[in-house]
Amino acid sequence: MSDNYDVIVIGAGHNGLVCANILAKKNRKVLICEARENCGGLVEESITNFVPQIPLSVSSSLGGLPVKYKAKSTIALSESGQHIRLVGNQHIDHKVISGFSSKDADRYVEFHDKMSSFSKALGSFMMASPPRVMNNTFSDYFKLFKLGMNVRMLGKKKFNEFARMIGLNIADELEDNFENTLLQGLIAHDAVLGSNLGPRSPGSLINLLYRMATHDNSIFGGIYEIDGGSKAFVDTLLDISNKNKVEIKTSSSVKRCITENDKAIGVELHSGEKIYAKKIISNADPRSTYFCLLGTENLDTDVKRRIKHHRSKGKVAKLSLSLNKQPEFINCDKNDLESRMVIAPSIDYIEEAFNPSKFDKLSMEPILEMKLKNSDQSNPVLDIQVQYASYGAQEGWDKIKDNYVDAVIKLIGKYAPDIQSCIETKTIVTPDDIEKNFYVSGGHWHHGEIQIDQLFMLRPIPGASQYRTHLDGLYMCGAGTHPGGGLTGIPGKNAAQAILEDA
Amino acid sequence: MNRDLRFTALKKTPFHSRTSLASRTNKYYNWNGFTVPTEYSTTELEYTAARNGTSVMDLTPMCKYMINGSDANKFVDYLVTRDLSQMEDNTVAYIIWCNEDGKVMDDGTIFKFSNTKFMLCCAVKIYNWLHDSAEGFDVSFEDATDTTAALAIQGPTSCSTLKNYGADDLELLKPFGMKQYNINGYDVLISRTGFTGDLGYELWTDPANAENMWDSIMEAGKELKIRPFGMHALEMTRIEAGFIQTNTDFMAAEDSLRPVRMRSPYEIGMGWLVHLNKESYFVGKRALKKEKETGNSERCLVGLDIDGDKPAVGSVIYNEKKEDIGIVTAAMWSPTMKRNVALASLKRPYGIKIKENIFAEIYHPEELEYKKIWAKCKVVKRQFFSPERRNKVPADLYE
Repeated sequence: MSDNYDVIVIGAGHNGLVCANILAKKNRKVLICEARENCGGLVEESITNFVPQIPLSVSSSLGGLPVKYKAKSTIALSESGQHIRLVGNQHIDHKVISGFSSKDADRYVEFHDKMSSFSKALGSFMMASPPRVMNNTFSDYFKLFKLGMNVRMLGKKKFNEFARMIGLNIADELEDNFENTLLQGLIAHDAVLGSNLGPRSPGSLINLLYRMATHDNSIFGGIYEIDGGSKAFVDTLLDISNKNKVEIKTSSSVKRCITENDKAIGVELHSGEKIYAKKIISNADPRSTYFCLLGTENLDTDVKRRIKHHRSKGKVAKLSLSLNKQPEFINCDKNDLESRMVIAPSIDYIEEAFNPSKFDKLSMEPILEMKLKNSDQSNPVLDIQVQYASYGAQEGWDKIKDNYVDAVIKLIGKYAPDIQSCIETKTIVTPDDIEKNFYVSGGHWHHGEIQIDQLFMLRPIPGASQYRTHLDGLYMCGAGTHPGGGLTGIPGKNAAQAILEDA
Repeated sequence: MNRDLRFTALKKTPFHSRTSLASRTNKYYNWNGFTVPTEYSTTELEYTAARNGTSVMDLTPMCKYMINGSDANKFVDYLVTRDLSQMEDNTVAYIIWCNEDGKVMDDGTIFKFSNTKFMLCCAVKIYNWLHDSAEGFDVSFEDATDTTAALAIQGPTSCSTLKNYGADDLELLKPFGMKQYNINGYDVLISRTGFTGDLGYELWTDPANAENMWDSIMEAGKELKIRPFGMHALEMTRIEAGFIQTNTDFMAAEDSLRPVRMRSPYEIGMGWLVHLNKESYFVGKRALKKEKETGNSERCLVGLDIDGDKPAVGSVIYNEKKEDIGIVTAAMWSPTMKRNVALASLKRPYGIKIKENIFAEIYHPEELEYKKIWAKCKVVKRQFFSPERRNKVPADLYE
């Protein structure tokens, strides 16, 4: 049987595209099979709001990625109009917070420095492939040793502090440091964003560190909007793919991996077409990769257990409101409206929003992260990330969707009283919709929770880290692998490296 | 009153009224949550019955799982290392199963009724394991441990005893065959299987039939030297037969705290049950294939023929340089073979390539003193006792 391709990538999400292009640049003949009509996966206006910047290591291995970013400041909205505006610059932020509490302002700088040094210590680890400790190879131990050293080099005091904080919940830490509840709420919001945690859930602090590591080691810096939107980003990647002669087959969903002698040798499409290649890479989430592509009959029981226990229930819905005019947000100027607007007034508010989601129910007072898109050609659009919109909500999304949307709009009405009259159309994409339309089981941004038991060499599951699966010749490059989701391209790049190493 | 008791009492098997009546010593032990006799009178007498007449043992505490569903045959083939795709209906197969690292979890027997119905019999509880393994297969499980009464009828006159009991044409049943009977108004499944290495059968029936079955069999074997036997006598017969026991000769993978204690099939002499050329995948196949290819099995389980007549229970095994090379997992003086035998787990290449100059250090208790014996061992086949009558068809009959 002749290999038609060197590599087949399943899924044209951004990680799949990055991975394919790096391989194509190394003279591999690459085909991408994408189930949907469009490429880009979750990098789409209907899903993405704000993004981190693609790291230099990723863009340089693509030979440059001509994407322009606009840095965004953050505004925590307050019903009273006493908003907090932060830009990610220590001096400016200190001054802003001083306006509320001089104690908080000083504490904020200290807190930020501490968190920043921790996220930097994690940083180098975030970019590279995680070690596989079971392998007993020198390079794996060296990597682990290096992480240990990075953390230890912080000094004894900071090391102890790091050890104290690693399993901590963000609420305790924030309440220890700050008195302003709006500031507490804002930081807690960013710590739990995209996760299945409340501010009082253990592990919510490392979630924030994790976020910082991909956001310029800053809490409110490193937040960007792509110039031209998600489409521009995906088009750029497609241009590069074109140049690198990466073939892309859209509307071609893969049914399963074809195996021979327990090795992946190709894919079978739902149409029945069979395509063969030396290596197969899945950009799909771990559950789909294992249960659908690999097939349950080819998995050991222990692996089935791990995949079944893999936590990947999405909690974020995206609501897009098309507006006929710009709404009047209380006490907001033009600059504020261009910022990232957050509605999470306090830790307790977030926790209350989180509580029903523990039982797969919905809170009618969720937390919101909003982006107002103004363009000269068309109507303004208010894009809102709504959390905690539980995957598989008990109330049934079909039944409750309209009520839920109304509740969100009512909530925004507290900050922009005229919002109701501005709305022309409303579209909501729930985690269930993400699962159905984007083929991500659980509809989770990160293809799986970012929590200590699903991080680093445990991501997505023990025995499948380092982008390899249990099946020879089948790899993973999606958000389910280290270091997780977010528009970074790191999983895609690391997976490409793993494949080149094995070849 | 009951809720004040801290512990729940052990369960009694459906044969308890009869086994307790037969017990002179009142010696019981806990087998899988049931109370069953270790010995009824003297172990030696019970052993002798097993080798010369008919012995009866209450097997009810064995874990018994019914596996049903349209994928049942595919599922059992996936679960175990042996290739069962060609297994015929109404037969039984000896099997082992492994975890993902190719380490043995337990051994047992699988009974095939049809492609959609099986029964799995084993020592260690695996209900969870079955359920977790079943992802992707159309199968359902039923734990039949409490709802099936089981009796082992073993020994040279066992076939005659059961024929007297009402099992017509039983002598024609082949080893590892099974046959459904209706005796005294109850369904009784009889399989030609056992743990003594001799001619023998196992009977499976409704608990309501248990007492009647026990009484009828005792009556049927009256002239055929029938005798109930307990765990200690069974231990003797199974060592002679070279059968291994989970958590005695090797640690079940799920039970061992130390990963180095887990054993692959190749390390406990069960390599013959691993069919790597089986077309479909089975749990542990990748790991076992790798172990086979690299040949990095570390241990082996062998039979030892030991000089002298003092059983080498718990002995450490040495080479000629007095280096520790393994341990005896089970040992006895075999009254039938008149040999001092043992099963031992050795570090390779001992037992595989090096079979000479192996010694056991035996501490033989003599009235509060130990006599230390340095005994020479010979590596031999594990099946010390395997009489011709064991596999003979038709089976021997006696009057």
